[in-house]
Amino acid sequence: MAEAIRSRTSATTRYRTVDLVTVAMLGVALGVVFWGWNQLFAVVSGTALFAFPPSSGLICGVWLLGGVVGGLVVRKPGAAVGTELVAATVSALLGNQWGMSVVVSGLIQGFGAELVFAVFLYRRWGVVVAALAGALAGAGEAVYEWFAYYADWSFGYQLVYLAFFVVSGALVAGVGGWALVRALASTGALDAFGPGRDYHARTAVSADHDQA
Amino acid sequence: MRRLVPAANPLVLLAMGTLAIVASFAVRDLRTAAVALGAYVLAGALLLPSPRFALARFAAIAVASVSLVSSTWWLGGRDLEVALTAGLRIVVLALPGAVLAAFVDPSRLADQLGQRLRLPARPVVAFAAAMQRFGALRETWGQLDRTRRARGYGPTRNPLSRGRHAASLAFALLVSALRDAARMSVAMDARGFAGAQTRTWAEPAPWTRADTGLLALGVVLAAVPWLVR
Repeated sequence: MAEAIRSRTSATTRYRTVDLVTVAMLGVALGVVFWGWNQLFAVVSGTALFAFPPSSGLICGVWLLGGVVGGLVVRKPGAAVGTELVAATVSALLGNQWGMSVVVSGLIQGFGAELVFAVFLYRRWGVVVAALAGALAGAGEAVYEWFAYYADWSFGYQLVYLAFFVVSGALVAGVGGWALVRALASTGALDAFGPGRDYHARTAVSADHDQA
Repeated sequence: MRRLVPAANPLVLLAMGTLAIVASFAVRDLRTAAVALGAYVLAGALLLPSPRFALARFAAIAVASVSLVSSTWWLGGRDLEVALTAGLRIVVLALPGAVLAAFVDPSRLADQLGQRLRLPARPVVAFAAAMQRFGALRETWGQLDRTRRARGYGPTRNPLSRGRHAASLAFALLVSALRDAARMSVAMDARGFAGAQTRTWAEPAPWTRADTGLLALGVVLAAVPWLVR
């Protein structure tokens, strides 16, 4: 009986082993994805260069996936920062064109997503919250890049870059990350987590009420 | 001398790479850029086991640098010196960290994070455990790739088809990683991981005099551009 009357906050903030290991494993797997995207970015940004350089922000949303996906899966404070930080560290250790700067980026992006989840008190995990998390992660990263990389662009172009980055963050990392978590839940891989329980609740209801 | 970096404490290597970001923020003209980069190149020439690897990393950074030079020239007032400085600034920012990261061993890093920085043990051990599965992830990727090809779902030469192929492999890899995480955490909990009170570590996490020296060198190298600018 003592188990049953645990307070609500401790149940939502205490990390189980599976939470910790999942944050780390998601981080490692996404870090490999980030690393692959780094290689692709070198090619694509060269193309964007001849068209309109700030538009390279449009494909940066992939690097913000860690925070959104980690937060949506584990649904606990710190999961977004943790996942993005591990992913950024892994992509740095694999070797990339920005050195340790990607770890700083990872921290900023993770905190951007984390902040949105915190504002909603770690209770809302819908597509709008995910898009906001991706957007804020993108905004934070774009501002960091104003100082670290694009310090000498004129302010107007910096703003355009920020806008592209935020759009990419909201769509690719936010909506895309939300769809990715939904797809992962449907495979049964997230049964230990909120999205997995939601999936089973949805499919159980649809049998009774004939909802899609 | 040349064995210092491979034997160095991973915390020191990461700190030196991160300090290079601090150095890059002082680079505002070509002279400072040349001095800062020169100091790093000199240190690298003296300390690294072989220059070949650093040159390979430089080649990757050079692509990013060239693209930054041209975008800064175009969007930053068409000033060649400003553009070249921006290009060199990113080399100062990235090169030390990109080269030193290759010498970081994840397990030693986790030992240092847990025992020297005294970060909470459970997240650190989870990180180390996940890093150890890295080789298994790569193997899974290869198996998934071969399986899809053998079943006739392989990509054509078309880049779009290759992209779809890579995306479907990445999704399957994520599913496999998540299942792995669930399995692994059951095994860890079966060994009392969640409730452990006095935790022991398999390996020590030493801090040597060489580590102190390298860290001091990292601070000096980062201070150089701030002093000469």
